[in-house]
Amino acid sequence: MDQKHASSPLAGAVHDLATEVVLALRSGDHLATVCGAAGIDEENRTGIAAVRVIGADLLLPSVLYGRHPHPGDVAVLDRAVREFPPKPDAPAATAWSHWHMISTLQRMAPPAPGAAAPGTYAEPDAAWLEEAPWQAFTHQLSVLAPLAVPAAPSAVQRAAANRAVDLSRGFVRAVRRRDWLQAAGAGRWLAATGGEPATLGLDRGLDFVELMGGHDPRVTLHVRAARLMAEARAR
Amino acid sequence: MTTTATEDPQGRPGQDPQGRPAREPAFTPGASGASGAALAVLPGVLASALAWTDAHRTRFALPDDVLEPHTQVNATLKPLGELAQLGSTIRRTTAPGTPEHEVAGDLVAYAWEQVHEGALLLELLRAEPFAAYPYEIYAAFAGYGLRHEGFEALARPLTATRAWAHTEQHANRQLGLVNSERRVGVVTHTDAGGVLSRTWLGGLSEPWMFEGSSGYALTHTVFHLTDWGRMPDRVPKKIDGYLRTWLPAWADGCLESGQWDLTGELLAVAASLPGPAPVELLDAVWPVLADVQHPTGCVPETGVPAEDPSPDPYPFIDCYHSTLVTAFAAALSLRSLRQTDERAGRPTGEQTGETTPGRERHTP
Repeated sequence: MDQKHASSPLAGAVHDLATEVVLALRSGDHLATVCGAAGIDEENRTGIAAVRVIGADLLLPSVLYGRHPHPGDVAVLDRAVREFPPKPDAPAATAWSHWHMISTLQRMAPPAPGAAAPGTYAEPDAAWLEEAPWQAFTHQLSVLAPLAVPAAPSAVQRAAANRAVDLSRGFVRAVRRRDWLQAAGAGRWLAATGGEPATLGLDRGLDFVELMGGHDPRVTLHVRAARLMAEARAR
Repeated sequence: MTTTATEDPQGRPGQDPQGRPAREPAFTPGASGASGAALAVLPGVLASALAWTDAHRTRFALPDDVLEPHTQVNATLKPLGELAQLGSTIRRTTAPGTPEHEVAGDLVAYAWEQVHEGALLLELLRAEPFAAYPYEIYAAFAGYGLRHEGFEALARPLTATRAWAHTEQHANRQLGLVNSERRVGVVTHTDAGGVLSRTWLGGLSEPWMFEGSSGYALTHTVFHLTDWGRMPDRVPKKIDGYLRTWLPAWADGCLESGQWDLTGELLAVAASLPGPAPVELLDAVWPVLADVQHPTGCVPETGVPAEDPSPDPYPFIDCYHSTLVTAFAAALSLRSLRQTDERAGRPTGEQTGETTPGRERHTP
């Protein structure tokens, strides 16, 4: 485990997982499991918690390259969903992240006939997002950046598409605050949904965010995802 | 007057000394930016900032040795030129008969007295005939109708030279010179549109590269382009859209980092746009700046506002400009908001969450 940037075992595991996702995104033909490479299996409680933090981005390489995910990664994600269900009073972002993990599993790795499904979970409410000021909106969307993937419609994604100018302002604000993770998350949403003002200069902005904040692999993960989605949109 | 008053001495907003981003402020719906919030505070902010300036007018007085080489222009002629420039704009932006209109007129008259009805500016020009700043200070008065024949007689051949037309300076300052020429009424040395395209703003720069120095360059570009808010229609459509799109993000950063002077200038820019006022932005930012304003009316340039109730909580040099800018921005904002209401046929103050019709188009 790379403890250089880790303030706790959980943070270290999150760092390692994000690093492996980035490697898989870069290689494009990465066949090994993300969790396996990060030394995480179904019995590793810290690792499972880290998967809960990374969320559905564990399967992002498969989602973006249109490949079947590795069964080991599916198993660990499934385990994280079962072990960390949101409490009834959990923040809306937690509920959304949980919902997205389940829907990603259902989409990418439907259970074999007769096998136990991870259960159903109703799509949470997003009205609060529509009313949030642009600053809070961008912050929340950035937390929910794993939902910014193609062909995964949600109320959050619709809110992002409807408020592209607000998200762009939030990107500018995040860069100014040197909050690279938030900037990367906002940039990923803009790459996924489009509609940003032409003068934003998102491509160069994402380069800048990656070069300034890339010591955090979660930043690189979002920027890499944004680039892959932007390339796919351009095709 | 085109010299940038204050360069940002501070770092970036929301960052702790270790370089980590600050925590996100808690989201409290409805806490600020309520409809009509700007109009609720603006009359008080304007009256109070002008009252402070009026009470401190002798601090703008020129010393006897103002023309001596050792005298600091930034502490003498520059503040006085700004008093004339911003005072005359406030005078023209406020309704005749109102106390603000009268005080602003008094302040311009006071400044004109200080330059001996232009005679001192002629002396300054004779001392530094090839410098641009005497002309720029004079233009602040000339644009208001206060003129000096001898000054213009000496300036006329100088401003017709090739050297004048090729004065080397930043693009936003060159726009200032063009505006000065317009005010004095001579043929401008170059086309303003060409100069505008060389500014940070005219290049529609990536908004995430905004910082203190580009911020002041941007605000002064708009001030010179619009003759300090008097001619909003001179703002080209694409720049109007660009500003309506990005001003909220920049103003938010200035508030968070306590850059009150630049916040005031950005508000003045927002109130100098053609068409409807950017109501949401004005409603979000003005109440915060109103809170920063000291009970006596002064506004600090940067930093944590003083809680000292005494009449002079800040050194004059650290608050006179931001206080003048606050008054100037408040007068322009009141005009912009009231005109927006009139166009919509509403009684002033009845806001409806105005749309921003000129906002930049999305990419396809």
